[in-house]
Amino acid sequence: MTTPPPATPAPQGTTTEAVLLLRLAGPLQSWGSRSAFNRRETNPEPTKSGVIGLLAAAAGMAREDPLDELTPLSLGVRVDQPGTLLRDYHTVSDFRDRPLLQAGVSAKGLQKPTSPAKYTHVTTRYYLQDAVFVAAVAGPRDLLCTLDQAVRAPSFPLALGRRSCPPTQPLALGLREGRLEHVLRKEPWQASRRAREQYAAQCGREQELDRPLYPACIDRSVTIEDPEGDDVLHDAPVSFDPYARSFTSRRVRHGWLSIPTGFPRPDTTDDGADEAAGHDPFALLGW
Amino acid sequence: MTYLSRIRINPLRAESRRLLANPRAMRGAVMGGIPDAPQGDRVLWRLDADNPRRPHLFVLTSAKPDWTHIVEKAGWPDADGEHAAVRDYAPLLDQIAVGREFAFRLTASPVQNTAAPMSPTPTQAARLAAAADSDSKRVRGFRLGHSTASAQLNWFLTRTARWGFDVPTARTDAPAPGLADSRTADDARNTEVGTEDAGPARDIRITASRRHSFVKNGKGPRVTIQSATFEGRLQVTDPAAFVTRLLEGIGPSKAYGCGLLTLAPLRSRTTLQ
Repeated sequence: MTTPPPATPAPQGTTTEAVLLLRLAGPLQSWGSRSAFNRRETNPEPTKSGVIGLLAAAAGMAREDPLDELTPLSLGVRVDQPGTLLRDYHTVSDFRDRPLLQAGVSAKGLQKPTSPAKYTHVTTRYYLQDAVFVAAVAGPRDLLCTLDQAVRAPSFPLALGRRSCPPTQPLALGLREGRLEHVLRKEPWQASRRAREQYAAQCGREQELDRPLYPACIDRSVTIEDPEGDDVLHDAPVSFDPYARSFTSRRVRHGWLSIPTGFPRPDTTDDGADEAAGHDPFALLGW
Repeated sequence: MTYLSRIRINPLRAESRRLLANPRAMRGAVMGGIPDAPQGDRVLWRLDADNPRRPHLFVLTSAKPDWTHIVEKAGWPDADGEHAAVRDYAPLLDQIAVGREFAFRLTASPVQNTAAPMSPTPTQAARLAAAADSDSKRVRGFRLGHSTASAQLNWFLTRTARWGFDVPTARTDAPAPGLADSRTADDARNTEVGTEDAGPARDIRITASRRHSFVKNGKGPRVTIQSATFEGRLQVTDPAAFVTRLLEGIGPSKAYGCGLLTLAPLRSRTTLQ
C-alpha cells in the first residue's frame, strides 16, 4: 500500500492565491494541439487544454459543463525529462469486413460509405515516451484546494493527453505558496531515478572523474503563461462540448530555470553566488 | 599552532586608506595583533581587494592573534557578521598529500638578480661607479622586479618543483575535427623558437600586477616592489616542501604583503550539454 498523500495545508484567509503542482509522468504521453484526420501529432510539452481537461475530469465535470472557472487559471510547465518521440503506425478497419464510412453525412444524417470503397485507414499517432513534466496551475486558493483533492480521488480516469496514456503516481504534488515561476524554481527535479543516475554519470564523465558527479542544480526549460510573452499557443480551451469544441490562443514565454536536483548529498557547484565569493581559503579549514 | 585570519576592511575610513595605500603601515597594523611573537617568526599577510567595497586582509600567524585594533579603526565595529575570522590552520595541513589538487592564490614579488642592469637607475649607476672605482673584486647584484606577465609567469613556473607542487595543464576541450593538426604545428613552432611559454597552457593566470612604491616613516629611501597575483590549480608533489612554503611564504617582500599562498577547494564545473 502506498503512503497516504501529504495533507494539504488548510486554506488561509490572508492569501487567496496558490499554485497547484502536478507531476505529469507516464510511459506514454500525447499532447496534441492541431491534430486532425489520420495524423495525430504531439506537442513536446503538455498543452493547457490537456491539463485543464485532466483537472475537469478529476473534478467530475461533464464535457458540456462550462469551463468558466478553470480557464482563468494560468499554467506553467517545466520539462524535467524531455522524453523521446514515438511514432505509432496504426491501421483502422471494420472487423465485419465492410468498407469504412466517410466523414460526410447523408440527408438522413447517416455517414456515407467511402467511394471507391476503402477498407483500411492508415493513421499515424505520435507519443512522448518516458517524459516527465511538472505542471503548475496558479489561481484562487479555494478552487485549487478542491482540485488538489479531486486529482487525488478523481471522478473519471485521468489520462496524459490521450485515453491510452495513464499517468504514474504521484500525480499531485500538493499546493504551494508564492508566484508561479518561484514555485517552479523551488520544486526539486522530478525525473526518474534512472535518468538522474545517468545525468550524474554524464557529469562525472565530463569532469573526467572516475565517479558520478552529483551537482546541486540543473537547468530545465519552462513555458509560463504571461500576457507579455513573446509566443502564442493556440491551446486554451473554451469548451470541451463535443458539439461545440473550441479553443483560443494564449501568450506564453519560454525560459530556463536552475532547479535543485534533489540528490541526497550534492556536490558544490559554481553558480553565481559562488563566483562572487571567489577564492575562499577558509573553505578547507573545516567550516 | 598556526592560525589563518581574515579581517574585513572598511575602505571608507581614514585609517583604512592609510593602511591600504602603504604596505608598511599595513605591516605595522598586522604586527600589532600578535602579542608574543617569537623573534624571527615570519608573519605572512595578503590584501585581497577583488571586491573593492570590502577588501579582505588575510594573515597567517604562528600564535593566536587579536585584531580588535584593526576592526575598531578600519572596520565596521558595530556591524553584523564576523569582523575577524581566526581559524586553526591544522585541518588544511593535515590534508596535504602527494597528488592532492587545490585551487590556489598567491601574491608574490617575482624578481631576478643581476650584476649588470641594462638601464640602471641613478642609485644603481652610483653604486656601479663606486664599485668600479674601488679595487674590490665582487659587485653586489641588484634585485630587479619582473614587470611583464610572461616574465612573472616564467618566474613562478620554473620554481614550482622546488616549492613542492606542480601546476597541471589547463583543462581544455578537445579541438574540433581538422583543427588538431594545426594545434600541434603551433606547438612545434613554439618549441622551435624557444619562447618561454612553449608547451601546453598551464592552469594558472595572473589576476593582478601592481607596483608599490612607498617610504618608511615618511623619510629614508624609497621602497619599490613589483607584485603579481597568481591564481590557478596546483598539485602537491612534495608535501614536506609544500608545507614549508605554506608556512614560511614564497619569494621576497614577505613583510609587505607578498608570499602568502592560500588554498581553496577546486570548483566543480557543471556545464550540461
